[in-house]
Amino acid sequence: MTAAGREPAPALEAVGLTVSYGRRPVLRDLDLAVCAGEAMAVLGPSGCGKTTLLYTVAGFTAPDSGLIRIDGRVVVDGPRSHPPEDRDVAVVFQNYALWPHLSALDTVAYPIRRAGQPRAEARQRAMVLLERMGVAALADRRPAELSGGEQQRVGVARALARGAALYLFDEPTAHLDAPLRTVLQEELAAQRTALGAAVLYATHDVAEAFTVADRVALLRGGAVAQIGSPQQVYEHPVDLWAARLTGPACALDLPVAPAGPGSIEVWVGEVAATVAVAGGREPPAGRAALLLRPEWGGLGGPLPGRVLAVRYRGPDTIYRLDTPAGQVEVRGGGAPRAAIGERCGWAMQRVGLLPGPASAAAPHPVSRG
Amino acid sequence: MTDPVAAPSLRRPTSWTPAGLVLVSALLVLLVGIPLVRLFAVALEDGPAAVGRTLRTGATGQAVVNTVWTSLAVTVLGLLGGAAAAFVTERSRAPGRGWLRGALLAALLGAPLVSAIGWTRAYGPGGLLDRLVGLHWDGLYGPAGIVVVGAAGAVPVGYLVIAASLASRVEPDLERAARACGATAGLAARSVTLPLARPGIAAAAALVFVTGLNAFEVPAVLGIPAGFPTMTTRIYQDLTLAVDPAAFAAAAALAVGLVVIAVIAIAPVDALAGAGRAPRTGGAAGAATAAGRRSWGLAAALWTFLAITVALPMLALVLVALTRAVGLAPVPANWTLANFAAALDGHTYEALSNSVLLAAGAATGVLLIGALSAALGRAGVGRVLGTAVTMTFAVAGSTLAVAVLLAYGGSLRDTLAIILVAYLAKFWALGHRPLAGAAERLPADLVRAGRVSGAGAATAVRTIVGPLLRPALGAAWLLVFLFAVHELTISSLLYGPGTKTLAVVILDRQQLGDVAVTSALSVLLTLLIAAAAGLLLVARRAAGRRSVPT
Repeated sequence: MTAAGREPAPALEAVGLTVSYGRRPVLRDLDLAVCAGEAMAVLGPSGCGKTTLLYTVAGFTAPDSGLIRIDGRVVVDGPRSHPPEDRDVAVVFQNYALWPHLSALDTVAYPIRRAGQPRAEARQRAMVLLERMGVAALADRRPAELSGGEQQRVGVARALARGAALYLFDEPTAHLDAPLRTVLQEELAAQRTALGAAVLYATHDVAEAFTVADRVALLRGGAVAQIGSPQQVYEHPVDLWAARLTGPACALDLPVAPAGPGSIEVWVGEVAATVAVAGGREPPAGRAALLLRPEWGGLGGPLPGRVLAVRYRGPDTIYRLDTPAGQVEVRGGGAPRAAIGERCGWAMQRVGLLPGPASAAAPHPVSRG
Repeated sequence: MTDPVAAPSLRRPTSWTPAGLVLVSALLVLLVGIPLVRLFAVALEDGPAAVGRTLRTGATGQAVVNTVWTSLAVTVLGLLGGAAAAFVTERSRAPGRGWLRGALLAALLGAPLVSAIGWTRAYGPGGLLDRLVGLHWDGLYGPAGIVVVGAAGAVPVGYLVIAASLASRVEPDLERAARACGATAGLAARSVTLPLARPGIAAAAALVFVTGLNAFEVPAVLGIPAGFPTMTTRIYQDLTLAVDPAAFAAAAALAVGLVVIAVIAIAPVDALAGAGRAPRTGGAAGAATAAGRRSWGLAAALWTFLAITVALPMLALVLVALTRAVGLAPVPANWTLANFAAALDGHTYEALSNSVLLAAGAATGVLLIGALSAALGRAGVGRVLGTAVTMTFAVAGSTLAVAVLLAYGGSLRDTLAIILVAYLAKFWALGHRPLAGAAERLPADLVRAGRVSGAGAATAVRTIVGPLLRPALGAAWLLVFLFAVHELTISSLLYGPGTKTLAVVILDRQQLGDVAVTSALSVLLTLLIAAAAGLLLVARRAAGRRSVPT
């Protein structure tokens, strides 16, 4: 919604991108646009093509076909392309890819040198970047003498030194502890705003994707399955796969009937309940495939169930229930209020609609930004 | 097209791989292909049956039999010794394992020619032991001596391959896992260690056998005086002493025979060694269990072995070289540098400069062609060419020398250039392997990071690949220099007036019975090798420091 509002030249525009390794297709006819100043997360399980997408944009991998524009400039058009050094991109690599023979200072000065600056000037500007990343004291150290977190800061500083229109992050915060991750993400957010550059951030961690990104693209089998703001992809997943990728979710197949605008009547066994439908759409009468996230339901209510498992998480508790509709998970605030084996009532406040055999007649609720 | 500014500069990415493949193929054909084809054409002039007859009957037949059984004996003894040494350094808690490892590797770099002469000075008639306690070994000159001295040289070779395979494929955690599942130490060794180490042991066996098969120095020093011919010494005598065409035909047949036997030995190993690389478990190094006191005994045995096979022969050489006259007691009162002065006459200087020149030329040439073949990578045709380069190392020096003589003798006979051509063919693998390994260990992301930082392909090579591979390049140069500077097999067959190498001079003097001068020259050659080895050590240390953090 916000992305569609402003219309400057996109920082990245990929059209019909197809990449294969040997005979194995990795990206299939992929379309993707990242607006200037926007941070987009590419979320998907390992092997879905995240790194290949980034490497194709950076120019490390040649696509079979497709077109890529960076900051309005064509860099790939079918078999013809610009090499990486002629593209306006910077990369933070998964394993940092720091050069073993260069100090942190010379590493960060490297892109500035390549841009034609004299050595002294490049080092001076590199020092400023290292200071911003809080690792100025380590300027003379080589990668082998740096911890993982320090290596990553140097890697990010090197990318920032490039001053690119588009920053690519290849799952860079993997294997780092949570506090360091937070510091780093704040740092990145500040840098990005200052430079007004766009970010394409590959990750398999949904919490990370939601934290860093304005929009999230779900990648499945080398194609974009869904794209939208974190709220859109969480609240209105296009299917069960997208729902499970973005958070805990149960699928229910239940008889339903329309019950006024934005709500439906659902039968769980003998008991009927009126629940809101996420997005305000209504299924036709009959059976429907429904999506239930734990916090969309709750403990205590008219629906029958029996507790199978209790998972205490601190602020709340997740209960797995055996019900006439199958197994569901619902959330209750605070400490556990029911024991395993106990009979208890539960409620659904809202549900989502999933495409499926039971609701084949319903239009697919594809959400777009 | 939609973008008038950028569209004209878009281009198809250029790939240098096809050009590299063509260049490496052409070099392989020139250095190895044409010579071997010429050799086979000459040897098979009268049909394969004639070659078979030559290799089965008469003096040449005897040489084949002698070579095969001594090589097999060397292989068995060398493997047993190498496996024991690998157990001590990789699996036991014996003290001084690092030193032992270093001593075994140092033994690997020594010149076999010097080693063989050293044995005669230490244990032969009139040798150091004879002088000290009145004991000498009559069998030293002859098959027993060839087997024992050959095996002593083969132990470090077997050790290196088996220890490397233990370190890379059989990590101690795998044995610990077997012990944790209830296996005894013996059962763990039988069910885990041995199956995983088998490809390494098979590779070691092939390497040691082929090395023994192609060995010339030890049989030349210990076999020729005893009238015990092997294939390589037979080729040497046919080519340098005989004049009739029949002798040349016999030499060509023997040269072909060496290749055939090597192929028969290597073929089954390829199948065994094909098993894929095991994933690293990343566990702590060290023994799965305390190996107890037995490893102390084994370590002591290994040190004794090194003392007998390396230290004592070298000590005997030095003492003879320093003693005023043969027959005098090697005490300080009788010490002199006169033998060194006598050794360093004009001919020796010429030979020394030839050796250093050839070694430096071979090292530089191999560095260039090795970097080229290593840059082709391990995919597709590049892999095939890499294997071909590596396999060239299994071709006997004697075979290469005869083949190169046949192919290029017309224009290059009696020049240093013809020796250099054979050296390039022989030592290419020695440069290719470490460089290919270093290139493979270089993460592709390091170069990508350079490109995406704004460096063009050439700049990325200059500022990233070059500095990172420099220690490996230096180490490869020194390694080739080390082996080329004491090379005897090829140079003894290809030298002409004024192109003798130091090793050839040493062999000549030894055969003339010039005991003191030969010893002095051997010591000089060893000092030259030690200097290069020292530099090699420094280069390896530097390479270690440059290694990529994980």
